[in-house]
Amino acid sequence: MPDTHATEEPPVTTPLDDMQLDALRELANIASGTAATSLSQMLGRAVDLNVPSARALSLADAVDAAGDPTQTVTGIALGVEGDLAGAVLLLVPPAHAATLCELLGVEPGSEVGDSALGEIGNILGAAYLMALGSMTGLTLLPTSPEVFTDLLGAIVASVIAGAIGHGDTALVLDSELDITGESCAISFMLLPESGGVHRMLAPLGLAELQS
Amino acid sequence: MGELAVSATAGDELVAIGLGSCIGLAIVDRSVGVAGLAHIVLPESLGKVEPKAKFADLAVPELIRRMLNAGGVKRRLEAVVIGGARMFSVGASLDIGARNAEAVRVALEREGVPVRAEETGGNRGRTARVIVGAEVSSQLAGGSRTTLIALPHAARSITKAGAGR
Repeated sequence: MPDTHATEEPPVTTPLDDMQLDALRELANIASGTAATSLSQMLGRAVDLNVPSARALSLADAVDAAGDPTQTVTGIALGVEGDLAGAVLLLVPPAHAATLCELLGVEPGSEVGDSALGEIGNILGAAYLMALGSMTGLTLLPTSPEVFTDLLGAIVASVIAGAIGHGDTALVLDSELDITGESCAISFMLLPESGGVHRMLAPLGLAELQS
Repeated sequence: MGELAVSATAGDELVAIGLGSCIGLAIVDRSVGVAGLAHIVLPESLGKVEPKAKFADLAVPELIRRMLNAGGVKRRLEAVVIGGARMFSVGASLDIGARNAEAVRVALEREGVPVRAEETGGNRGRTARVIVGAEVSSQLAGGSRTTLIALPHAARSITKAGAGR
C-alpha cells in the first residue's frame, strides 16, 4: 500500500517478555548451531553462523523483516508436526541457491536442483528441530520440504499465513548461515503457531502451559 | 498485508506486492472514479475483529463501506479478484489460496457486488495494482502487467475527506 494511505492496523502488542525472548534466542542459537554443523558435513565446507534473533512481529512486519517483498528469492519450507505445529522457512537468493546446487553437483533451476535444495531444507530443518526438541522435551517432526522461487512477499506471507493462522503475531526465530569461501547465505526461520511458543517455554519454567 | 486503502484521486496508485496465497481485492465505481484495494490473508475471521482487511469475511463489507464513504454507489460497484495462488501447504492449512478466493467470491455475492475480472490460482506470486482513473492490473512475478479492467477518468471528480487518507 502507498505511504500516503494510513493503515488501520492496531499497534502490535507482544505477549512475550524480554526474558522469554532471550530464552527463545538461546534455543534458536543452539538449534541453529546443530543445523549449521549438519550443513557443513553435507557440503564439506565450513559454515558460519550469526547470532540469531527472536522477535514477535505482526504479519506485515514479519514480511518486512525478511527483506524487500519485491525481490525474487528461493524459499524452502517444511511443516512442523508433533507436540508443536508451525513451519521452518529457509530463504536463499537465487544466485546463492545456484551456488548450493553447484556445491552438490546438480544443475541449478532444474527439477533435480530443486529437489537438492529441498534436501538441504530437510537436513537443516531436521537437525534444528531435533536440537530444539531435545532441549524442550518436545517431539518435533519435519514434513517433506517444498521449494518455490518467487517474490519474497508472496513466499513469506503464504508460509506465515499457513503456520500462524489466526494469531496476531508471528514469532520469528531468525538465523543466518554463511558458507565460508562462497558467496552463499541462507536465512533460516522457525515460525511456530501461536500457542506453540508457550509450549516451547513451559519446559524451561518460563510459561504456563494453559496460556 | 491485512491493510486496505480507498482513493478518489486520479493517478493515485494502490499496490499489493507479492500476493501468494493472499488476495488483492479491488473494488471500483467506474462512473465516479473511486477505487479501493484490500490485501486479504485468510478466509475467515473466526471471531477476530481486527484487522478487518486480513480476513475475507470482514474485508469485503469493510472495503464496500469505505468505497461508499468515498463517494461510490453500491449498485455500481464492481470487483476484481487477484492472487490466491497455491504456494506452500505447510502448517494446518491446505491450499489457503483457493479457500481465500472462494471466501472472497462468497462475500461479494452476499453483498451483490459482481466480479468483473479474476486472476487467481496457479502457483506463482502476483502483484495487484490499482491506478485510480486508469486501470486495475495483475503482474506475475517476473512477468508483464495485464490490465484486467480499465478505469476511465471520472466525468466529475469527487473529493471527499477521509478517502483512505
